[in-house]
Amino acid sequence: MSITLKGVMQSTVTPLKDDFSPDLPAFERLVEFHVRTGATAIAWPHHKAESLNLTIAERKLFAEVAVKVTAGRVPVSIHVSALAVEDTMALARHAQAIGADAILAITPYFWNPSSDALYDYFVRLGTSIDLPLIAYNSPSYLSGVEITGELTRHLIERLPNFVGMKEASFNSEKFVEIARVALTLRPDFALIAGVEFLAPSVPLGGAGSYSSAGAICPNLCAQLYEACVAGDWPTARALQYKLARLWDLFRDQYPSSLKGGMVIMGRAVGPTRPPLPTATRERQAYIRTQLEEMGILDSEPHGW
Amino acid sequence: MTPFQPGFVHTPITPFKRDYGVDFDTFGKLIAFHLGHGAQALALPMHAGESVSLGDGEQRKLLEFALRQAGKVPVIAHISDSGTGIAVARARHAQDAGAAAIVATMPYYWTPPPAMIVEHFAQIGSSVRVPFFVFYTPEEMGGTKLATDVVLKLIERLDNFAGVVDASLDWQFMVNIASNAQRVRPEFQVLSGSEYMVSAGALGATSMFSSLAAVAPTLVRRLFDLCRRERYFEARADQETVSALRQAVKKAGFAGLKAALRVMGRDCGEPRPPNAALSAAMNAALAAELDVIAALRAEPRGW
Repeated sequence: MSITLKGVMQSTVTPLKDDFSPDLPAFERLVEFHVRTGATAIAWPHHKAESLNLTIAERKLFAEVAVKVTAGRVPVSIHVSALAVEDTMALARHAQAIGADAILAITPYFWNPSSDALYDYFVRLGTSIDLPLIAYNSPSYLSGVEITGELTRHLIERLPNFVGMKEASFNSEKFVEIARVALTLRPDFALIAGVEFLAPSVPLGGAGSYSSAGAICPNLCAQLYEACVAGDWPTARALQYKLARLWDLFRDQYPSSLKGGMVIMGRAVGPTRPPLPTATRERQAYIRTQLEEMGILDSEPHGW
Repeated sequence: MTPFQPGFVHTPITPFKRDYGVDFDTFGKLIAFHLGHGAQALALPMHAGESVSLGDGEQRKLLEFALRQAGKVPVIAHISDSGTGIAVARARHAQDAGAAAIVATMPYYWTPPPAMIVEHFAQIGSSVRVPFFVFYTPEEMGGTKLATDVVLKLIERLDNFAGVVDASLDWQFMVNIASNAQRVRPEFQVLSGSEYMVSAGALGATSMFSSLAAVAPTLVRRLFDLCRRERYFEARADQETVSALRQAVKKAGFAGLKAALRVMGRDCGEPRPPNAALSAAMNAALAAELDVIAALRAEPRGW
């Protein structure tokens, strides 16, 4: 069960029509855009893809398109987390059935499960499929519920298909504690930063990142990763500061601001489903000024 | 003028006698140990030095004592308090006594609005001419956040506002502070408030505060030196070892640091109440955990 997860992996947004229904042709264009502009993997639907605002049927439909369009050029992982764990299990089975390369799952929503309950959850999920499993750690969004180094150890010992983690604590201590355990027990374990925090994670053994801004500036993302693996820290810092400024711009009303920015880049993907807002024209105008100021409009691809 | 960059900053604990009085004899030995084992600066009394359990007069005496012993090694005085006026008075004393810089956290207990946080720090910073650092440690301060906007307002008001000592370990915070503050004050520093220097250094930190330097000065200094030379990939192994040490000490609770020092042959007594000493069983468990950290075998034992 081998999969290579490294570099800047693109977790795509979900294009919607003006009436908020799925826009599958735009999704096809978007996946193609990411593969063509250097994505080392496609990941869908992370929270930026409004996963929790899509029905289970819609999620299956988009997942099928992602696998079909990518067509084996890079690995495709499907985020299977849903409010109800039984839906998560069904999405995992579906991901395997359609030929996805891996599944990704966050700690369960709403409930505050104990570490033992998290272990049971991931073991049940991981043993239900014959696909690599990537866990997703995001304590700040889930009331402090987290995958610790110790839990990582137990899961690696139990699950041969536990191959990586989306690590979105953005915290040095938490990252080191997971890396220390995981990379000792499973040297090819892929620790993937939640957004492009590559400068602080790559030297600690990080494999790469899922991208927040890749739909806006794929070139910048790739340059940052290259600077980090080359150990060119002055360059990496400058690029990291720039991407952090973009992250600040887009995490405000995430992902609506990101979708607003995509309009500016000539890659409109429609509105954002409520309860998340859709970027207004005023917000889009502000995003344009920021992208201009950062030179993004001149250095990144425009249109599809 | 070259800005004051403190470098590798040891943050000594405060030794107490059995009656909980400050043990200045042992403190003298401890300062000598730090100076002889790689400290480029001292910061005291930080929280590891039980600042909050020391009265104002004790904090002043401790600082004066350390300054006499430190000679040319810069001493950063930690002057935090709840009341702005109290912190200001302590800052002035520190400067008059010869401190190279001062450092202050958010006010204790209160949760003032952002405008008053700016006012608190502005009054402290403007009361002295020496460099002023803000110590950001949200986990210890009830989660109170330091907004980038507050930092930018302080830069506008204070010529001597030199940097933020970050113990949040939060990459988003560090990047935001470094990138925004350095746009208006290029020499503004982000300092690592603990030994997680690989990520902090990669994000631009040039100095590091360390309490674990009292336990493993050789290891922590090597980690710092590798990071200062931006050899982060090489530093990873030491970073993981230091993290293992930190977890062992942390698991034991606040008294863990003093207990670890005792294991290393540098007995500094127990913490003051309300922090409890470790039980015999906890001491033994900590000693066993330290015993499996091979790097500690190369560290100095005793004074």
